[in-house]
Amino acid sequence: MGLLGQPTQEKIVLALALVLCLGFALLLPGFWTASNLLNLVRSVSILGILGVAMALVVIGRGIDLSLVATMAVAVAWSLQLAESGMPMAQALAFGLGFCLLIGLLNGFLIAYVEIPAIFATLAMGTAVYGFGRYFLFSLDIVYMPPDAHALTWVGQGTLFGVPAPIYMFALVSALAFLFLRYTRQGRYLRSVGDNLLAARITGVPTRPIILMQYMISSVIGFLAGCVTAASVASMNVRISNSTLIYDVILVVVLGGIGLSGGKGGIRNAIVGTLLIGVLLNGMTIMDIQYTVQNVIKGIILLTAIVIDTLLNPRDEQTAQQGDI
Amino acid sequence: MALTDTLTRWRYRLVPDHLVGEVLSKRWIDNAIPLLILLAVVCAFSFAMPDFFGPSSISDLTRQWGEFSLLVLALMIVMVAGGIDLSIGSTFALGNIVALALIAVAGWPMWAVVLGTLACGAAVGLVNGLLVGYLRLRAFLTTLVTLIIVRAVVDMLLLNYSVAIASTFIDSDSWYYPGEGSVFGVPFSVVLTIILAIIIHLVFSRSRIGWQVLATGGSRRSAHNVGIPVRRVVCATYVVSGVLAALSGLLFASRLGGAGADTGVGLEIMALTAAVLGGNSLGGGRGSAAKAIIGSITAMIMVNGLIRMGVPAGANSLMLGLVLFTAVAIDVRWIKNLHKVVSKVYVSPAYASLPKPPGTDSYSPYAVNDKLAPVTLIGLGEIDGPEDIILDDDDNIYTGNRTGDVIRFFAPDYKQHEVYAHVGGRPLGLAFDKNGDLLVCIGGMGLYRVTKDREIEKLTDETNRSWLSVIDDSRLRLADDLDVALDGRVFFSEATVRYEMHEWPVDGLESRGNGRIICYDPSSKSTHTVLRNLKFPNGICMAHDGQSFFFAETWACTVSRYWFDGPKKGTVETVIPDLPGYPDNINRASDGTFWLALVGIRTPSLDLALKMPGFRRRMARRIAPDEWLYPNINTGCIVRFDATGTILDVMWDRGGENHPMITSMREHKGYLYIGGILNNRIGKLKLKSADKSWTGLASYWGQS
Amino acid sequence: MRRIKAIIMAAALAATTGAVTAQDIEDPTRAPYYDSFKDKTVAFLPVSMGIDLTEGWAAGIKSALEPLGVTIEIRDPNFNTAAGAQALTSLISEKPDVIVVHNPDVQSYARLLRRAEEAGIYVVQVNMRSAYSTDAFVGADYVGMGRQIGQRLVDLCSPDNGKSGKVAVTQGVLTAAASIYQMKGINEVLNDHPEIQLVSNQAADWDATKAKNIAATVIQQHPDLCAITGFWDVMDVGTAAAIKESGQDVYLLTQGGGNQATCDAIAAGSFDESVVYNVPGQARDIANIIKQLLQLKPEPGAMKTTLFTQLEFITADNMDSGTCWKLPGQ
Repeated sequence: MGLLGQPTQEKIVLALALVLCLGFALLLPGFWTASNLLNLVRSVSILGILGVAMALVVIGRGIDLSLVATMAVAVAWSLQLAESGMPMAQALAFGLGFCLLIGLLNGFLIAYVEIPAIFATLAMGTAVYGFGRYFLFSLDIVYMPPDAHALTWVGQGTLFGVPAPIYMFALVSALAFLFLRYTRQGRYLRSVGDNLLAARITGVPTRPIILMQYMISSVIGFLAGCVTAASVASMNVRISNSTLIYDVILVVVLGGIGLSGGKGGIRNAIVGTLLIGVLLNGMTIMDIQYTVQNVIKGIILLTAIVIDTLLNPRDEQTAQQGDI
Repeated sequence: MALTDTLTRWRYRLVPDHLVGEVLSKRWIDNAIPLLILLAVVCAFSFAMPDFFGPSSISDLTRQWGEFSLLVLALMIVMVAGGIDLSIGSTFALGNIVALALIAVAGWPMWAVVLGTLACGAAVGLVNGLLVGYLRLRAFLTTLVTLIIVRAVVDMLLLNYSVAIASTFIDSDSWYYPGEGSVFGVPFSVVLTIILAIIIHLVFSRSRIGWQVLATGGSRRSAHNVGIPVRRVVCATYVVSGVLAALSGLLFASRLGGAGADTGVGLEIMALTAAVLGGNSLGGGRGSAAKAIIGSITAMIMVNGLIRMGVPAGANSLMLGLVLFTAVAIDVRWIKNLHKVVSKVYVSPAYASLPKPPGTDSYSPYAVNDKLAPVTLIGLGEIDGPEDIILDDDDNIYTGNRTGDVIRFFAPDYKQHEVYAHVGGRPLGLAFDKNGDLLVCIGGMGLYRVTKDREIEKLTDETNRSWLSVIDDSRLRLADDLDVALDGRVFFSEATVRYEMHEWPVDGLESRGNGRIICYDPSSKSTHTVLRNLKFPNGICMAHDGQSFFFAETWACTVSRYWFDGPKKGTVETVIPDLPGYPDNINRASDGTFWLALVGIRTPSLDLALKMPGFRRRMARRIAPDEWLYPNINTGCIVRFDATGTILDVMWDRGGENHPMITSMREHKGYLYIGGILNNRIGKLKLKSADKSWTGLASYWGQS
Repeated sequence: MRRIKAIIMAAALAATTGAVTAQDIEDPTRAPYYDSFKDKTVAFLPVSMGIDLTEGWAAGIKSALEPLGVTIEIRDPNFNTAAGAQALTSLISEKPDVIVVHNPDVQSYARLLRRAEEAGIYVVQVNMRSAYSTDAFVGADYVGMGRQIGQRLVDLCSPDNGKSGKVAVTQGVLTAAASIYQMKGINEVLNDHPEIQLVSNQAADWDATKAKNIAATVIQQHPDLCAITGFWDVMDVGTAAAIKESGQDVYLLTQGGGNQATCDAIAAGSFDESVVYNVPGQARDIANIIKQLLQLKPEPGAMKTTLFTQLEFITADNMDSGTCWKLPGQ
């Protein structure tokens, strides 16, 4: 333990992922091969990109439940526009603009109207999905125009044998890491998450920072949406109503980013994503039934949280009020 | 001029401005916005669809509402304790499938099915409770994971049993009763939910465990530090929530008899929406059964109405989202600004026109002099705020202290003192009853008795509630002075029902009749209000006829006499209509006249301001309380008057050195003892022409 | 808007009808035919609008019945069974003449459908059957479909033909009636053919991304995989992408309503074959059943008709420009 220092949730989750990896590698033929490992990372890279977006918001003591809906609707709209003849780049620019607008609205409602983030974004998710279904397109599934090769590469291409989504995941993670670490806005974001009132008193422009945080998450979400659409050549708007958003939150919190804000970094989101990826991949190889997979996944997640709590017990005296 | 005055007077007499602040400071006003949203939704839908609230529609709607509302109640209980339970949707589905499997596949009798289903719900709740309550896991994350696990378990049960369930016809009337039966025409689920809601309301508002839950949600740390078993309380909320969710699932199963893959999917979000629409706050401390019910009705009507209108799914979600925005935004702003608004509008000055004050120059009966100069001081610096003073047969002095004690100074030199009794609140008026027990008015607490054995007993802390008062005036906020009639009845004044002890000068700004005189009858141990709408009634002193007492109204600058017995029973006569200052305590003098303390002297500016309520209201709203124009209580005097109201004597302390202010005085064996609520001393003045053997006790109760 | 349009059209129709009958020889069935649809209401309660199947049915029913003056009402519970049950409950109290219902599962609506019939409303079920049989069922025979798919897999992948014999199934939601019945059919066939090995049987929740991840892992574990069959073409877009990325030659047999998107995908080589229950044909069946019910006026629930839809196996070889159908706006 001396070498590892204080066992944080991040380390526990990482250790758990490694143990699982080791177990699968020993027991499952075909798990520990380069192609499977690449496939493993590729299969969770979209989840990982969304996790990075969510991590930024959660570090700023927010939560963005509209992330999936925004990404689905914006990308589906872009595809719809492209299908009706608009150049792909222009269509994507419209989609991006839509995302920025939704992020701005989220931030405004949270920072200025002071609606709790969980409700503002929950309502925004519902409203965005409804808006898309009602005004932008009539079918839930929008297919990608066949001639959009450049975009298709983002989801299906490879470079040096590594699938493109992994590059996207790595790129987004790296940018987010640098942003949090080296830019003034990134540090402000963390200070806002750590203690909003203190940040405001010391002169941090807290409200603009909150606006920015939701706009960034929307934009990263749009990127994740592009990768999704490209990799399956279509966008199913119904994923806004799926439990994907729960998985995204799980990845973030599992990696050790507290919902009370200010804690953790991009690394934590990556670790959480990897654990989920290893689990899913191993269980698919074993051909475990889908429902049983969910039980196993849930129990392992629960184990990770329980171990963390046992090693770092939360005390009545130190716990933060309202930290659920 | 006179006309505008009259108009102003009627304007302030007829329009009850003070009600605004009182209504806004009620606890139930918290529900106003959720209720308004509910009304708006009801109006909108009954306008859009005239038959939406028709009998058949209502019956279907309410049945579904019963089930949904149970879930909202479940979530509310957890939220109030500071947690969140996202697993209720899955637990609902579990309750549904378990109930169906038990009745259709296992063939259990109905009572066993109910017990089995509820036990399943309790088990899920217990897992949540152990993890969140005892292990201190984060509620959001933990219940998110149990949501996934329970949902997967439900799916597994579905795969195994759904075909068997679908192919079995359940032949049991008792099975269909919860879902389809009615009690006096009201669907069973609604009756059940309302009963449960009432029970939950009673538990939260009136039971120890309910208060412990609220305290835990309000501040878990403080709750822990005062010894509440926080972990057990939190765990219990999850168990209850699990049971309620399973019960809801059972009702659903009995109504539809179907186990679908998506049963209960997303219900947690719906329930959360409803809970928030009702005004329950995330993070705990604020929530009630009523809020849960209001929220669930609103959400139910909205979702159902939109589906029934045949709105396309997109528009449906869009509207739902927008309504959620609006509702939460309004609620958030409301909560945030409510106390600001209350603090601005609570002070509501009324019109008061005081008669022209008599002067204090040398022609006046109130002419300024220095008669209080020779006063000697008792307990200088050792006592803080002796509002009232009383002496017993052994000449010991009793007085109240700001620290919540009754202090006794020992005769004859009054150098020594002790805490006679620790009463815990600010002792104001003092009196001895026939048995020699000390009766004390304690600000914020009520009327208490300290027996000779120093036992402290509460006599009364409430009176009859007046029906039309918005403020709950049954509690005694500021019992001030008292006196005892020959038959033992205690008459005491409550200065104001609108302000707490420490805000008493603000009441002067209002100059409305906020005070009252209350009678406590020891023979029946009953309390009732005798006179109301008095302007800060203060001193009370029995007249010598045994049928009436004098009382002072501080902000009205009058002394009046009230007959509680005899031929003039029930009448009030003003004895002194135009005091130059603000009267406080009244006590008997040895020659059959009365002593009266004036706590402060009127100023022309405030007298003028009293005729300008609008001016005072603007003052209260716009500038800080420190800067307000208050009644002057820096200089006072002692007045002696007789039963007809004639002023016989006035004693001043011109320099204000010994007695910056005077709130009471008590004559005893030729000396006058003087107290003041802001003083740090008791004064003792030798009276020249007084009866050297006269004591107050003897005057009341005869030679003992 | 559409309703207004329908009313105008109906009015125009009625006017022309009147004009025509005045001049020509009377067809004795004509007037009763049109009379039987006057002021009738048909309510359509799908699992959700916004997918090609339900939009296709709605469009077909509308085009067949609205010109006759029938009002079509659509309630959209958006994949929420509880909301659907609420909608059905309120429909029963509103009393339309016919309810066309698309069941989310075999049970949830069963009791309500009986109540609807008891209330005097005809109930037509589409594509997904409830445990309670009503006046009519129009849709695919899923057990039979499963058998046919199973047989197709055997034909394609049998080691006798030099293939590996390894096949994978990607279901939607495990508990949906379509999944349960089809799996039953597939298993019946595969049990008779031990040479065919079912290497993966997973549920992807109707989600293309999940289907893609499952397929990618399975192909990677079994590079010699012969065929994957998925239960919905929309979801199998993901499976197709996984196959394309892997570069392996895996036969993808999907199924669905036969929307133009399916044909496009077959043309593009994403899908190899699709089992199609022709949606416009189903819509016509529904409309015909409704016309029959409204004309014959039997006691609701007295007549139990089943119309299984003819299945088509579309491949690039037997496909032409008219094989698939398009939605009006598509």
